Amino acid sequence: MSTAEAAHGKPILLFDDECGVCRFIARQVRKAAGNPATATLIIQPIGADPQALRSINPGLDIWAAYATIHVVMPDGTMKLGGEAVAEVLRRLAATAWLAGVFSIKIFGARPFQSMLNMAYTILADVRPLFGCESCGAPAGWLRPFAWLIQSAKPLFGAPRPVPRPPHFSRRKTKEASASF
Amino acid sequence: MQFDAITTLNAAAFDAMVVQANGPVAVEFMSYGCAYCRALEPVLQRAAEVVQAEEKIFRVNIAVEPGLAESYDIQGTPTLVMFRDGSETGRVEGPPPVLADILAYVTQPA
Repeated sequence: MSTAEAAHGKPILLFDDECGVCRFIARQVRKAAGNPATATLIIQPIGADPQALRSINPGLDIWAAYATIHVVMPDGTMKLGGEAVAEVLRRLAATAWLAGVFSIKIFGARPFQSMLNMAYTILADVRPLFGCESCGAPAGWLRPFAWLIQSAKPLFGAPRPVPRPPHFSRRKTKEASASF
Repeated sequence: MQFDAITTLNAAAFDAMVVQANGPVAVEFMSYGCAYCRALEPVLQRAAEVVQAEEKIFRVNIAVEPGLAESYDIQGTPTLVMFRDGSETGRVEGPPPVLADILAYVTQPA
């Protein structure tokens, strides 16, 4: 590790700043972590510069960082997905007690950690339903729900969805951003 | 990613490598946070390796270069814009992450 953060010996939580759900969760974590000077965790957006990310950890790939939540540990290792969530919970004073259960082993397996991994996967899959265009198309098992949500929107006065080509994430203009 | 076959351009490099270039050039307007761009990336890397003798493929990160995105009226990502001798000859919004399709787009005649 070569960044100033590494000198503080704090893990770095990287979050997807283009995803509203992720921004909301990062805000809550930041609030729970308290004063940045005394917090045991650094929370920072992934950003748009692959080189800057590699300066945090040479093994950190920006595509991978956007695909799955990453926590970069002070020793240079990385925790991903549910393991990263457990690490965040472990670092927050309010949830440190809960994080202990994810280390419990039963017959060599960590059932609570497995449940957390599954919960993270479900949350990651569900993000597009909350209007996160940058998160991609909903996973196959969620498409009926996505269809229902899209179909129900006009009933509540929301504008009909604008037809758009597949595999496409609409760019946020300044005007569009201002309306949210 | 171990080897990047696609060079990322900033505005100054875009002018030199695309606008003032001779021959065909393809530019992917993308964003790292876009899941569709992530799906397309390995396919585009493969396409860049296949066509490297005849054509260059570049990327422009619209989060870093919003001015270029405005200039080329990029409505979303990924958008693949084809140029020949500095002039746009075609574009495709949200190309499917299929190598045959990408090769067809980037090698389409002007």
